Amino acid sequence: MHRTVPSLPLAPSVKVKLINAGFQLASDLIDMRPLQLCKEAGISQEEAVEVLQMLRDDGQPHQQRAATESLTALDLLHQEQAVGSIVTFCSALDDALGGGVPVGKTTEICGAPGVGKTQLCMQLAVDVQIPVCFGGLGGKALYIDTEGSFLVQRVADMAEAAVQHCTLLAEDTEQRQALEELTVEKILSNLFLVRCHDYVELLAEVYLLPDFLSEHPEVRLVVIDSIAFPFRHDFEDLSQRTRLLNGLAQQLIQLATQHSVAVILTNQMTTRVSNGQSKLVPALGESWGHAATQRLILHWKGLRRLASLYKSPSQMEATIQYQITVQGFRDAPDEPRPTTASSAVSSPSGNHSKRLRMEDLS
Amino acid sequence: MEWEQLDLNPRIIAAVKKVNFRSAKEILCVSGPDLQRLTRLSKTDVQRLLCAVAAAVRKSKPVTALQLIRGECPVLEAGHRLSFACPVLDGLMRGGLPLRGITELAGESSAGKTQFCLQLCLSVQYPQENGGLNSGAVYICTEDSFPIKRLRQLITQQPQLRPDLPPALIRSRHFCDNIYIEHAADLEALRACVSQRVPVLLKRGLVRLLVVDSVAALFRSEFQADEAVQRSRHLLAFSNTLHRLSHEYGAPVVCVNQVTDVVDGPNPGRCDYGLVDSKVLPALGIAWANQVMVRLMLRRLAGQVQSDRRSSAPRKLEVVFAPHLPRASCLCGVWEEGVRGIPDDHSDLQPQGSS
Repeated sequence: MHRTVPSLPLAPSVKVKLINAGFQLASDLIDMRPLQLCKEAGISQEEAVEVLQMLRDDGQPHQQRAATESLTALDLLHQEQAVGSIVTFCSALDDALGGGVPVGKTTEICGAPGVGKTQLCMQLAVDVQIPVCFGGLGGKALYIDTEGSFLVQRVADMAEAAVQHCTLLAEDTEQRQALEELTVEKILSNLFLVRCHDYVELLAEVYLLPDFLSEHPEVRLVVIDSIAFPFRHDFEDLSQRTRLLNGLAQQLIQLATQHSVAVILTNQMTTRVSNGQSKLVPALGESWGHAATQRLILHWKGLRRLASLYKSPSQMEATIQYQITVQGFRDAPDEPRPTTASSAVSSPSGNHSKRLRMEDLS
Repeated sequence: MEWEQLDLNPRIIAAVKKVNFRSAKEILCVSGPDLQRLTRLSKTDVQRLLCAVAAAVRKSKPVTALQLIRGECPVLEAGHRLSFACPVLDGLMRGGLPLRGITELAGESSAGKTQFCLQLCLSVQYPQENGGLNSGAVYICTEDSFPIKRLRQLITQQPQLRPDLPPALIRSRHFCDNIYIEHAADLEALRACVSQRVPVLLKRGLVRLLVVDSVAALFRSEFQADEAVQRSRHLLAFSNTLHRLSHEYGAPVVCVNQVTDVVDGPNPGRCDYGLVDSKVLPALGIAWANQVMVRLMLRRLAGQVQSDRRSSAPRKLEVVFAPHLPRASCLCGVWEEGVRGIPDDHSDLQPQGSS
């Protein structure tokens, strides 16, 4: 315990008072009681308790601390495989994403109005709850709605369709048992909704997320639909907007890894004119493009709806077709179903648990 | 902001007051390390401060979707919609207009958009169990003057349009008294109307429907082709006001929009929402489309449709996008008593081509 008091991680005002009272080394403080310290240094009891707590935590031998903080790459690989991903019920998209939307990372979904961003978010909020014996995560979901487009009627339809899908797939007794508990009411009761009316409420909600996730450790998905809406009007100072968005992105990535949740952000599209040509690009500016780990862009091509994986650290860029039906987000009808051989190749993570595939129905 | 009300150590509150923060917004917009530097508090103190301020800003705790569907949170999910006063149209919209959010009705001129709006202004005045909201409507005209003669005709014909309602109920409504008409000749007047006069009516519960006919007219006329950025900014401010009012008072907002011609083929810089065969697209671009929750398009078709030996030009009402509706359409006609949808099995139509 040879650390000097100025090097300790304390508030500067507290350090000054401790030094003025004559404490030079951490070892001088370690044997003090809070009341004694309070009187001698002239700091409040709260601060004294904090100082002593900090010193006690600091007292672990350095090697032990280092071992708990560093991980090998093999450990990380195992961890990633263990946390799993959330299926989207569109097998083409699941394959492109390497199994589904990854837990522990942030994924951004951009698209023009009406192309299906909210539908995909609602579908994921239902899919995260699929029981583990069916290949799902059996988790809960938190939906932060900033646009007011969360209509519970639609989620109920998707939940109904998901329950029917699982009913058709149930083979063994474990699955049938899990199916008895999987009702539309249970799915709806595990989906939390918060509505934010402006960016201040959204910032507040994200600050309260760590507490919420600690209180509800089964939550595996956090959706913010959309993050663009509250930030796109009455912001005269665009640099402040960039700062706030970057802060939000960092907080969300931290939450995703610490609490093992998948974070989904929806973004709008805007027109950008360059060289006399205009094209549709994701909103919120260039720097926002670096915020999320993965970026998925949904767009129209004639009558078809396509999803392109634009940015991903682990998957190849791909474009797949999907459709929105009464049941929810699904594969497009004439898309060739991937054979099991090719699917084993395209999902190197080797997720051997039963996965929900559309061809299992036949 | 009353800092004493926060559940915090007095030391933290004193530090906040010393830095002269005036509102929760100011604190939340500063990053953690910056707050530490400004207030000279420790990291844990700043965390506690941010959590306490965030809890004070948060209006309501998270609710579950089950509570919503059971109607336990009427603020978030009302559980009923504003009816169109026609069972076929209500069927297309799964009950009617959602109470919160902007619904857009786009179409060419003489497609029948104003007819729809007038019908909604009457429908809103019935009690909730009859599909209304038991309140009045504000109708903001920006193009032509308000069609008062047609409104009077619709009022006298209400018993024909709503045979399901008891005549005494219809007679008891003072329809004209509850429709507030505003004429906005330019953007400034529109802005003043929506931010000053309409909130007063909403707050007093006198109205629960806001119709803007049309939103395109003023925005297209007051901005040149190269002033797209300014137009976007004004449009976003306007739609933000509408959005806020709609959510605060649970009042549906209906915006009538014009259409633009599609002269070139598919253009990657322009979103066509999957409307491949259409020669027209809703106006005001993607900036406006991002603010709209439900987009409907009304097209006038060739041919005739019959009902009780009267005939009308058929219209096609199509749902372009909505969070809770599939891509579907229905045919409807405009009669003396109003707009009525034509059920699918009723094909009295003669062969017609799409417009």
